Amino acid sequence: MAPGPFYINMRIASRIVGAVFFFICLLPLPASPNSTIIVGSKNFLENRLLAEMFAQLIEAQTPLHVERRLGLAGTHVCFEALKTGGIDLYPEYTGTGLVTILGEQPMRDPTATLNRVRTEFRKRWNLWWLAPLGFDNSYALALRRDRAEALGLRSISDLVKVASTLKAAFGYEFIQRADGLPGLKELYGLQFREVVGMQQSLKYQATDKGNVDVLDVYTTDGRLAVYDFVVLEDDLQFFPPYDATALVRGATLERHPELGTVLSLLTNALSPARMRELNLRIQEQGEAIPEVAYDALRDLHLVKEDHQAATATAKTSESFLSYMWERRATLMVRTGEHLGLAGVGLLLGIALAIPLALVLERWRKGAETTIRIIGMSQTIPSIALLAFMIPLFGVGVLPAIMALWIYSLYPILRNTYSGLRDAAPSVVETGRALGMTEWQILRSIRLPLAAPTIMAGIRTSAIWTIGTATLAAFIGAGGLGEPIVAGLQLADVQLILSGALPATMLALAVDGLLGWIERLVQPRGLESSQ
Amino acid sequence: MSTWELETRQVSKQFPDGTCALQGIDWGVRRGETMALIGESGSGKTTLLRLLNRLVEPSSGTIFIQNNLATSQAPMTLRRRLGYVPQNGDLFPHWTIRRNVCLVPQLLGWSTDQQQDRFNTLLTLVNLDPAQVADRYPIELSGGQRQRVAVARALAADPAIVLLDEPFSALDSLTRHELQEQFLSLKTQLQKTMVLVTHDISEAFRLGDRITVLKDGRIHQIGTSQELIDTPATPYVASLIQQTPARQH
Repeated sequence: MAPGPFYINMRIASRIVGAVFFFICLLPLPASPNSTIIVGSKNFLENRLLAEMFAQLIEAQTPLHVERRLGLAGTHVCFEALKTGGIDLYPEYTGTGLVTILGEQPMRDPTATLNRVRTEFRKRWNLWWLAPLGFDNSYALALRRDRAEALGLRSISDLVKVASTLKAAFGYEFIQRADGLPGLKELYGLQFREVVGMQQSLKYQATDKGNVDVLDVYTTDGRLAVYDFVVLEDDLQFFPPYDATALVRGATLERHPELGTVLSLLTNALSPARMRELNLRIQEQGEAIPEVAYDALRDLHLVKEDHQAATATAKTSESFLSYMWERRATLMVRTGEHLGLAGVGLLLGIALAIPLALVLERWRKGAETTIRIIGMSQTIPSIALLAFMIPLFGVGVLPAIMALWIYSLYPILRNTYSGLRDAAPSVVETGRALGMTEWQILRSIRLPLAAPTIMAGIRTSAIWTIGTATLAAFIGAGGLGEPIVAGLQLADVQLILSGALPATMLALAVDGLLGWIERLVQPRGLESSQ
Repeated sequence: MSTWELETRQVSKQFPDGTCALQGIDWGVRRGETMALIGESGSGKTTLLRLLNRLVEPSSGTIFIQNNLATSQAPMTLRRRLGYVPQNGDLFPHWTIRRNVCLVPQLLGWSTDQQQDRFNTLLTLVNLDPAQVADRYPIELSGGQRQRVAVARALAADPAIVLLDEPFSALDSLTRHELQEQFLSLKTQLQKTMVLVTHDISEAFRLGDRITVLKDGRIHQIGTSQELIDTPATPYVASLIQQTPARQH
């Protein structure tokens, strides 16, 4: 007997799936052999710049291979990654180490702070604070000069008196950290009319529009001068010292002792003024971080001069299309990474969810509970789920894929289960009455009839996975989220769009492709067209 | 040796939720006879049919198929030997007519040629053009055509016994009448033992050689239409008869 069209379609479909899988296997997954040093950074500019300087310095002065995981989502992610070996080093600030990581009371004295974190970090986690780079990037509160003068504000104590009429925009971390807003409130009794959480880079623009009064700023922020801000004096000495330095794994230093020596070349090499200057070039002149990092190292005679003339990538009024065209090589790589992350996550999701649905279909008693438990994973905010993966899998591609895998499960599981359960019960019963075995019924009746529902679940999952994969950049997994995250920090709309637009197009393209496959696996007799 | 082709002895069926579908059923169908099972929904008529091909197992009592215990062979083997026509036809919507009809022969491992020959014979038997419908899908056929295909499918492996579960109930009255006529001519032609479940007393009278009246899981009467009319065993049977117009044939 001739095989039904379903089998032909399944054959085509399985070839497509096979081809996609093959393609994904070709994508390089980053490996980290012993001679590779992984440099991480937090997701703000100065930290990225310092990390880039570390990276270029190591590349210039040692034969080691350097891998960059820049823009990780905040202190917690960086620190967890360092502890678990996901990265080997990242730029950290002594005050953050003391207050945020160790959870201790702030100290006024920079040396005492450094000594305290050095001792504790070595003892607890074998992590080493190297010599400070020479500048203290403290938190501070700031207002536009005209506003500060109108209100007659010089210090935080002055601010306390009028705060109840003012609106503040603070970074998300600052709002939570003990050495941020909570501590300020306690020491100064500061109460604002309203506090909103905002990305560091967007806050300055918000004050331009006049709807925000007070900001938390980094004292090395180059924009303080450009936007003409007044930094309020910390008259009760609340903010602890935040001396910047490299925080390195002890195990890495043991394996590569030269690393300590090389990074020490930056001891006291960067003054606060110099740092503001460098930050400003990135923030306002739109120069690329690697270029600025290179210039800084060159001025310190730490890299060779034969570097290609720094092509100024200053923001020009070029069209968006030509901007995208110039970045096409990078964008292709990012798109490939993105497809890899989402694709592997989705394939793993299919590989688990469909067999699980088959099991649950036989064991209905536990089905709803199981599906609901898996459904709960959907309620975890994506960024939190990504962060949960770090203690287990470090940073980079692996934890991102794990998180995407968990995310992809629910729609596929739910659809496969209900598709199988609800597939034309009377037809299934007829198959049984005519002497088909349960296995034959499953294979040639239930699965084909459920195929469109299953595919719809896979389609939903694919779209979610591609969307969520943009967040993977926060834990250093690359993808199209990379330009989005970087663009957010730079307040560079073109850069954001250069990631967001391809991600959207990718989602649409994949949706279209899966829609086509959906029609392909649709058993012919079910077509309503006549 | 019993004279019954199908027989139940003291069969009861109680479902896990406690409802009692059948109680102490002693019942039999002779070879070549068409037995109509009539009753309201919940009377147990469908349960009795499903006990015969072991879609339902009895809570107590024994069932004999051609003088053998129903449990003496695997359910799959038994079912492939019993033709089955479901309500609404219930063809497999994603299979061609050919594949639908040839399901049981295929399960039994017939050769492709044998299947094709059988397909042609059967479709002609139910007044359909084999060449015209072989590669079409159920959705492309009318309700009456689909029901004919379902009958052809039930007869595919030439079973001695055919079970029909309200086969014509979903059709419009004109088509129903036409199919009933054809059923009668098929019946005389094929001489199969058949059990036909229906809730329509006139259909039972028309198609059944004998009729079993079921109510609340008990048999009220078994007999020919004449016997039911002349000597209704219970008031329920009498009330059923009164609903039906005078006999047509």
